[in-house]
Amino acid sequence: MIVCVAVVGHQNNPLYLQSFTNADDALKLHHIVHCSLDVIDDRVNNPKKTGSTLNEAFLGLLYPSENYKAYGYLTNTKVKFIFVTTDLDVKDADVRNFFKRFHSAYVDAVSNPFHVPGKKITSKTFAERTWFDCWLQLSLVGQ
Amino acid sequence: MVSTYCNRFYSSKPELAARRIEAIGYQVGHQLSERYTMERPRFSDHLEAIKFICKDFWSELFKKQIDNLKTNHRGTFVLQDNRFRWLTRMSVEPTSGNTDASQADSSTSAADNKALPATSMHLYFPCGIIRGALTNLGIPCAVSADMSNLPACSFVIRIKA
Repeated sequence: MIVCVAVVGHQNNPLYLQSFTNADDALKLHHIVHCSLDVIDDRVNNPKKTGSTLNEAFLGLLYPSENYKAYGYLTNTKVKFIFVTTDLDVKDADVRNFFKRFHSAYVDAVSNPFHVPGKKITSKTFAERTWFDCWLQLSLVGQ
Repeated sequence: MVSTYCNRFYSSKPELAARRIEAIGYQVGHQLSERYTMERPRFSDHLEAIKFICKDFWSELFKKQIDNLKTNHRGTFVLQDNRFRWLTRMSVEPTSGNTDASQADSSTSAADNKALPATSMHLYFPCGIIRGALTNLGIPCAVSADMSNLPACSFVIRIKA
């Protein structure tokens, strides 16, 4: 299951950070997200891949640790999406799909004229959509 | 919208109205660029981002692409639109509210002088859109517009180092 999702702005400022666990390991999850940011920077500055995968928004597995896996996604506007999952066998296509839905939820949230660019996302609809996507992901993996 | 800002809110201060209209355009461009770049890979350099503005972004906004793109390869780009949609209906006649006899007698050059500031007001909004979109793509820049022969107009983009 997805235990944490994060949206990080272009100056590495947190725009949205939400964990879905009951235990008090939120700090640990935030730490993983923080570490993933460094990996993203590294990937972007030293691109190893060539061809079609070059400059793709989806960055793939960033930070595998013992219990968690962190996946990343970087948009054209240098906004990063990160999620941390406890699932060990995750399909790439599922992750891509998740990020796509997550991205469109984000775009809809920032298109709100009352949203201030660079500030935290306070939209309730965005939170609900994110939660629903995470839940959907969970049921997909469960199949 | 432009006329409301020019005539009602800031009728005495046209430069303030221009700044305000530009700021609204900036916000619109900022948000639209996020939406329209969703499906594409990241841009590797400035030229690619500008090309995106010329082609996809412009056709989403105005149902046509930019007609001509020039650059000096040192951070200045000139985008020329030969038939800018918002200026095609723009009249170069004097404004109808002006029925003064002495004004009516004056030559066409005076009429042009009256219409030009009103027309140039309408270009602050697209300038703001371009600036907002490019800034959101990580390219801080300054955009100015030039309209020497209507309805063609050109936007000059200067990228800040």
